[in-house]
Amino acid sequence: MTQTDMLSSDQEDLRLLRESARTLFERAGGSGRARKLRDAGGGWDSDMIGELAGAGVFGVTVPEANGGLGMGLAAGGVIAEEVGRVIAPEPVVLTIGLSLGLLRRLRPDHPKMEQLINGETTLAVAWQERGPGGAPADATCRYVDGKLTGSKAWVVGAAGSHGFLVVAGGHNGLALVLTEATADGLSVDKRVQADGSSLGELSFSGTPAEQLAEGSAVQDALAEAISDATALAAAELVGLSDRAFEITLDYIKAREQFDKPIGSFQVIQHRAVDLNVMLEVAQACVLEVLAQMDCETVPKIRARLASRAKARAVTAAKKITRDAIQLHGAVGYTDEFDIGLYLNRALVLSAWLGDDVYHRRIWLDAREEEGAAQ
Amino acid sequence: MTDWNAMSDAEFRKEVHQFFETEYPEELRHLPHRPKFAEIEHWHRKLHTKGWVAPAWPAEYGGMGLNAAKLLIFYEEQQRGGVNRGRDMGVQMVGPLIIKFGTQKQKDYWLPRILSCEDIWCQGYSEPGAGSDLANLRTRAEFDGDDFVINGQKIWTTMAHDATHIFMLVRTDPNAPKKQQGISFLLAPMDQPGVDVRTITTLSGETEFCEVFFDNARTPRENLVGELNKGWSMAKALLSFERIFIGSPGLAQNALGQLESFARGRGAFDDPVFRDRFAQAALDVEDHAALYARFADQLRRGETLGADVSMLKIWVTECLQRITELMIEAAGPDGGTVGPLQVGNVSVDVLASFYKARPTTIYGGSNEIQRNILSKAVLGLPD
Ligand SMILES: Cc1cc2nc3c(=O)[nH]c(=O)nc-3n(C[C@H](O)[C@H](O)[C@H](O)COP(=O)(O)OP(=O)(O)OC[C@H]3O[C@@H](n4cnc5c(N)ncnc54)[C@H](O)[C@@H]3O)c2cc1C
Repeated sequence: MTQTDMLSSDQEDLRLLRESARTLFERAGGSGRARKLRDAGGGWDSDMIGELAGAGVFGVTVPEANGGLGMGLAAGGVIAEEVGRVIAPEPVVLTIGLSLGLLRRLRPDHPKMEQLINGETTLAVAWQERGPGGAPADATCRYVDGKLTGSKAWVVGAAGSHGFLVVAGGHNGLALVLTEATADGLSVDKRVQADGSSLGELSFSGTPAEQLAEGSAVQDALAEAISDATALAAAELVGLSDRAFEITLDYIKAREQFDKPIGSFQVIQHRAVDLNVMLEVAQACVLEVLAQMDCETVPKIRARLASRAKARAVTAAKKITRDAIQLHGAVGYTDEFDIGLYLNRALVLSAWLGDDVYHRRIWLDAREEEGAAQ
Repeated sequence: MTDWNAMSDAEFRKEVHQFFETEYPEELRHLPHRPKFAEIEHWHRKLHTKGWVAPAWPAEYGGMGLNAAKLLIFYEEQQRGGVNRGRDMGVQMVGPLIIKFGTQKQKDYWLPRILSCEDIWCQGYSEPGAGSDLANLRTRAEFDGDDFVINGQKIWTTMAHDATHIFMLVRTDPNAPKKQQGISFLLAPMDQPGVDVRTITTLSGETEFCEVFFDNARTPRENLVGELNKGWSMAKALLSFERIFIGSPGLAQNALGQLESFARGRGAFDDPVFRDRFAQAALDVEDHAALYARFADQLRRGETLGADVSMLKIWVTECLQRITELMIEAAGPDGGTVGPLQVGNVSVDVLASFYKARPTTIYGGSNEIQRNILSKAVLGLPD
């Protein structure tokens, strides 16, 4: 096969993957499903997790040798975009990016790998801690003699997961440990989010946990997994923005005031064009980043790329969802219309793993550092 | 009666500050939602006894008769203290209209009841097909003996589920040659079989606005304010009150205060990028107040406000949105979290502030409509 043939066959694979993910979500009820789950108290649908697993979604970036599809982050991004389009609450980016991101790098042999890939289990990942002022702070949580003590904050998926992968201070530097959701001495305080999901604040008091890895490898794998998840979250935001824009475009074509569609007013047209351009830039950026990350091996460069994607995607998603409300007028401010769900989901995804301001800072720091090293 | 305007600004500020500081119930400070009347009734009674319900009304009607500078101080202190506006559609909207266009009998009857909150008002203008194009409204009112009979539907009626009365625009002459003609301004009681109110949930899960259905609802003829079929120009006059009110610095000042205490608690002021953005927002608010004072003075001198008042609303609502967006940023990983966030001994509901800021660019005439007005009526740009 020539280079171009390979490229186009890759692209064909991604197209098929997108189609099957989209069909799966649409058949399940699209964004209406997200509304139902939210109204039922948040959380996700375990049948959906099974279906996603059946389609190979969770193992998409896991090498074939370890039971995955070995398709790389570009494929993960395609799936994340589709998740974003229907604002599905299932822990797709969490699993592909963080839990499997850690396990495949540190313990590809572990039985949890297979369970995560086939959707039997979900694991939330806990590494950040909250300081006394409420902002993120240095970690103090400890793993000693098989037991965890301390606390972790902002744990996505804490409410529905079967267990936690916790990064804690151990005997030899950092340790990655596994604890069950039902373990003794573990309490989870749920903080409700704008989209009805929740973030967990975990506190451990002598909670039994199994050590999976330790030392500098944990630090490295964590950084890599965060890079992956950050770029995938960017893709999810792009999908979300894409759909929010579509909904808005349909609305301004249909809604009439002053005896014509509001989309006939030039100021509205220009606004729509600006949002569209912003969306296209974000899409192009994220696509390029994911492809580059698949070819790049230097962790710092991968991290910089991920920051670029998240910065762009958050900026676009914020602007698009907020303007979408404005263009809808009062109906946009109701719960009845789906557009509000997109605004709320964008708030949550923007805050997760760092917003645009945060990532622009990281990106520039990394760029300067690379410049200095050259 | 105290002549507030004779006091020095500093004295007056001190007096107002003191009152809000000592008398306003702690548990009602910086309420994240629009309260029902029962929740703030106790506070309202205090304000009423003090004679401070209507700071802008002339003293002869029971207001404080404040001049622009004093009014600004009053609102500033109110916002700074996180003092809820209360159910003020009566005071802010119908009251000024009745004062300007009402008969003596209407003034004598309605104004004291607005001040005491015996009547609680909601604003029935918008309809499903009449938002920005308000003149497109279809709700009809027809004479039947001594009454008007009302049929139709209003929507987005803020707090209609907790109001006793609605002031509304209705079509009284469907055959008028222009949409703007044949519209009248009516006052109507809500507590009657022909009025049906359904709440609408907002995207933040609050129920603060409603749909109101009229099915042969009735209101006495004497509840027509101004002339029959001349409601449009009156309503427009009222809109300029609304615009200067929505264009007042209050909400933005309050949000800025919340942002500052939250960001300090979170250590955001160590970040030069945040510092610059905060300074920008703070100056946007401060400089807006200077512009606001100009308009408020005009109002005090008894002049009618021109179309240029729209610029206040554009500036301050967009500024408010930026401030609340900064709050979300300062919250970092908590930026999507519902409910108050604790920082030291203050707690700030970042998300509630963000939500509250969103529709300010939609209601009271959307900012797009305000820009249309400015470009035509002020800049004289051709159609
Ligand atoms: C929180 C909230 C509270 C409210 N409370 C009340 C209340 O108490 N009483 C009441 O009567 N109403 C109330 N309203 C309704 C409010 O006045 C209307 O929402 C507003 O007039 C806009 O109308 P609309 O929502 O139908 O939007 P539309 O008129 O459908 O506008 C949709 C979008 O199109 C834009 N647009 C429309 N026409 C033009 C044009 N010619 N040029 C450029 N852009 C245009 C608008 O700016 C907007 O972005 C409230 C609204 C909200 C959101």
